[in-house]
Amino acid sequence: MKFAFGTSLKNIKRKPFRSFMMVLLVVILSFVLFMGAYIVMGLRNGLSSYRLRLGADIIVTPTSANGHGNVDDILLQGISGNYYISSKDIEKIKNTSGIAEVTTQFFLTSAKASCCSSRVQIIGFDPKTDFSVIPWMREEYSGELGIGEVIVGSNINVPEDGIITFYGQKYNIVGQLAETGTGLDSAVYTNMDTIRRMADDASHLLEIDPFKGVNINTAASAVLLRVEDGYEINDVADDINIHITKVKATSSKNMVSRISENLGNVSYVILLLVIGIWILSLVILITVFTMISNERRKEFAIYRIMGASKKILVEIMGCEAFVLCSIGSISGLVIAFFVSMVSTEALKEALALPALAPGAFAILMLMAGTFIVAVGAGLITSLLSAGRITKGETGLLLKGDS
Amino acid sequence: MELKADGISRIFFRNGKNTNFFHAVKKTDFNLESGKITVIIGKSGSGKTTFINMLAGLLCPTEGKVLLDGQDLYEMDDAKRSRLRNVSFGIIPQGHTGLSSLTVLENVLSPVCMYESGKSKKEKALDLLKFLGIEELQEVYSDELSGGEQRRMSIARALIGNPQIIIADEPTGDLDDESTIKVLDLLKKYAINGAAVLIVTHDDIAVKYADYLYKMDNGNLAVSS
Repeated sequence: MKFAFGTSLKNIKRKPFRSFMMVLLVVILSFVLFMGAYIVMGLRNGLSSYRLRLGADIIVTPTSANGHGNVDDILLQGISGNYYISSKDIEKIKNTSGIAEVTTQFFLTSAKASCCSSRVQIIGFDPKTDFSVIPWMREEYSGELGIGEVIVGSNINVPEDGIITFYGQKYNIVGQLAETGTGLDSAVYTNMDTIRRMADDASHLLEIDPFKGVNINTAASAVLLRVEDGYEINDVADDINIHITKVKATSSKNMVSRISENLGNVSYVILLLVIGIWILSLVILITVFTMISNERRKEFAIYRIMGASKKILVEIMGCEAFVLCSIGSISGLVIAFFVSMVSTEALKEALALPALAPGAFAILMLMAGTFIVAVGAGLITSLLSAGRITKGETGLLLKGDS
Repeated sequence: MELKADGISRIFFRNGKNTNFFHAVKKTDFNLESGKITVIIGKSGSGKTTFINMLAGLLCPTEGKVLLDGQDLYEMDDAKRSRLRNVSFGIIPQGHTGLSSLTVLENVLSPVCMYESGKSKKEKALDLLKFLGIEELQEVYSDELSGGEQRRMSIARALIGNPQIIIADEPTGDLDDESTIKVLDLLKKYAINGAAVLIVTHDDIAVKYADYLYKMDNGNLAVSS
């Protein structure tokens, strides 16, 4: 094996173009496989995180939200908007039959002006009734949100002093939430008392009243519902849509299944692309190995004349393939890793789907799997070529006159 | 060591006028004697290379046996036959047979490094290269050599392991007279030390070194006068 390994290294060094082409092919194979799997894993993680974070069976928003950033937009892409349901409609929603739990949320968009640190969606929730934000908050923060305190999504930059300014007032950031891969990561969360104080400040500071006469003390931007056992979620949503005007009830199941369908389509396209590129690369790899091995028939015959067994020839080819494929696969994985690090956000925006990068362990496993598959593919194709050459009689390979 | 061919022949398939095969070597008995130089002459295409490839365990005869000290080479498995070839045979093939990824010295040392470390053979390799007049080329890659230099390198490579059987196919083909004599003297020295040497050649000088002279004609091997 020592002879085979040493010889293969010398062959690699002495044939730089041939070696480079082989490495390049395996770089492509590894990059494509890792990126394809990484994207699909990220989208799947995003979907399950989205499903978990919704918490509610039904989300009711005002019809005026359509076109100004609806719930899907806010949740998935962080597109913000100010729209409100009156207290009268909230009461009607609460009185719909089949509802087990109700909680309200108040959305406020901060202005991108000197009065505010940045333009973000601020979501106020009612800690007494909430079943959507608090379970998520508990993963990172065990305390209660007091007046003037906020907790921010993972995409919000937390200043060193932990202070964020909205409409001229300073608020304490007491924690940061776990990443979800959705637009929720770009929002700021606080309790109802604090957000109503912010809204009051906004109505005094802004030239145009964002609330258009809505009573900010009683109105809500979204009503989140949990349906009683024995009731169909879609039936309850339909009931609300039929009987209460100016609001739209969307079942979270429908939202998730819509995203799931889109995710399925995207995953399918990615899978096809990965398979296509792999088939193409494998065909090239097999062709390259066959061409190389045909070119090397004489070289192998010389080794045989010197007393090399078929096993030694296979070892030489195998060592060469292993070294080149390992270099190629590691290079491909390093490139893919950096590309994946910088492209997750862009990808999420381009696909308009929730995406959550896989964890470190999953990435390590994915890298190990990609390495094994890419090096394995290279080894198998090289050994097939070596097997074909060693099958022939040495005397025929170097036959001069006969 | 005694190398014996017992009724060996070799057929190749090739479309001809009346048949789709031809006898490259017709049924032949042959003994290669230790301590002697045996020379085979004959026209190109007469079957010389096919014959010596069968003797070297590189080409399976269509019929007959090749026996080394009574053991049939082609009954052995590949690993055993290869190891035997590595230890007991020194083969100088026709043409340019340098391994282009290796330097001259690495080429020469290859056979002895294949199964063992081969470090102790470096001095011998340098002596051989010096004797053959290519010592200064030891670090040069073999594809940078001339035809004659490549030929001398492959001779050194065949002799590095002190083989008991030396089979040389046109060993002096690319060489001038002075180098030819040097190479033949070297082979003679190995024969004196007990090796069985078989040379296939067109070279008249080589014929003069023959203890036994054979002629191959159209696949038939016969003692030449």
